[in-house]
Amino acid sequence: MKHSQLKEIIKKKASKIEFAIVTNLENGLSEIYEPGKSLSKEFVIHKEQIDNFFKLKKNGVIENTEIFIETYIRPIKVIIVGAVHIAQYLVDFAKSLNFEISIIDPRGYFASEQRFPDMKIINKWPHEAFKEIETNENSALIALTHDPKIDDPALQHALIKKFYYIGALGSKKTHENRCQRLKDAGFNNNQINSIHGPIGIKLGGRSAPEIALSIIAQLISETYKK
Amino acid sequence: MKNSFDEKILEEANDWLNANQKVVLATVIQTWGSSPRQVGSRMIVNETGDFSGSVSGGCVESAVVRECIGLIKDNKPCKKIEFKVSNESAWEVGLACGGEIAVYLEQIN
Repeated sequence: MKHSQLKEIIKKKASKIEFAIVTNLENGLSEIYEPGKSLSKEFVIHKEQIDNFFKLKKNGVIENTEIFIETYIRPIKVIIVGAVHIAQYLVDFAKSLNFEISIIDPRGYFASEQRFPDMKIINKWPHEAFKEIETNENSALIALTHDPKIDDPALQHALIKKFYYIGALGSKKTHENRCQRLKDAGFNNNQINSIHGPIGIKLGGRSAPEIALSIIAQLISETYKK
Repeated sequence: MKNSFDEKILEEANDWLNANQKVVLATVIQTWGSSPRQVGSRMIVNETGDFSGSVSGGCVESAVVRECIGLIKDNKPCKKIEFKVSNESAWEVGLACGGEIAVYLEQIN
């Protein structure tokens, strides 16, 4: 691989473009492929299989060939509501796990740059903030304020958009009340039961980094279930 | 769903190249049976044997480093190597998990 190609790959990743690297394992030739774009003579006869790998988001060697395909997909979008202490640790974990984090918090004193350096925090109420974030069924929501005024609109948005992971912090009692409010708002039992509440897998931990770890563990587990 | 948990190594490869180091990229391209790392797992190696990332759970990294240094010395562009189940009685490199992996090495220049 040429250094210039490596630089191009890094650039495409940074601009969140989905692509694949196609490599001939015999002669070392490789190129970057984007769906809908053309391939060079070297690889064009494998176009159908390459598109197939791309569709399945799979890496591997095309059967009976020496052609290796590696697909690069956008990181999973995780929206955190509440720029609280736990969120600071979630941001740390997300860095090494390659999740793309956005934080929403209308309370300015939480959403400060000093608490979250290099992070884009949307200092608005959820219904306004979600206008700035494109979300779909590949998105995840972590609601951490346990304040119904802030969490509930975000949960409703995530349920409507069918996020693959929705978790909400709070005790069993808090969660029961939350479920009742969502029911009153017209959500059905299936939708409400899809919310992980109380959030996180049971580790028994109590501190902010411990809770962050249990949340991120649950998120990864759900990511692989999908 | 797939998350790109394992792609930061390319940024590191770029840093090494910008520091005028020679870099070989090693990628797991095929696996059979129970292998520790999935297809697409990567490590990088420079001419002095420094390495980052992984292609197994520590089972074959030393052999991969050796092969990568060889590739730089011989000035070859690429090479494919396979690792099979280890023979526990011999002090040889292999995968204790009983799987097999194929690793593709390529120089970035």
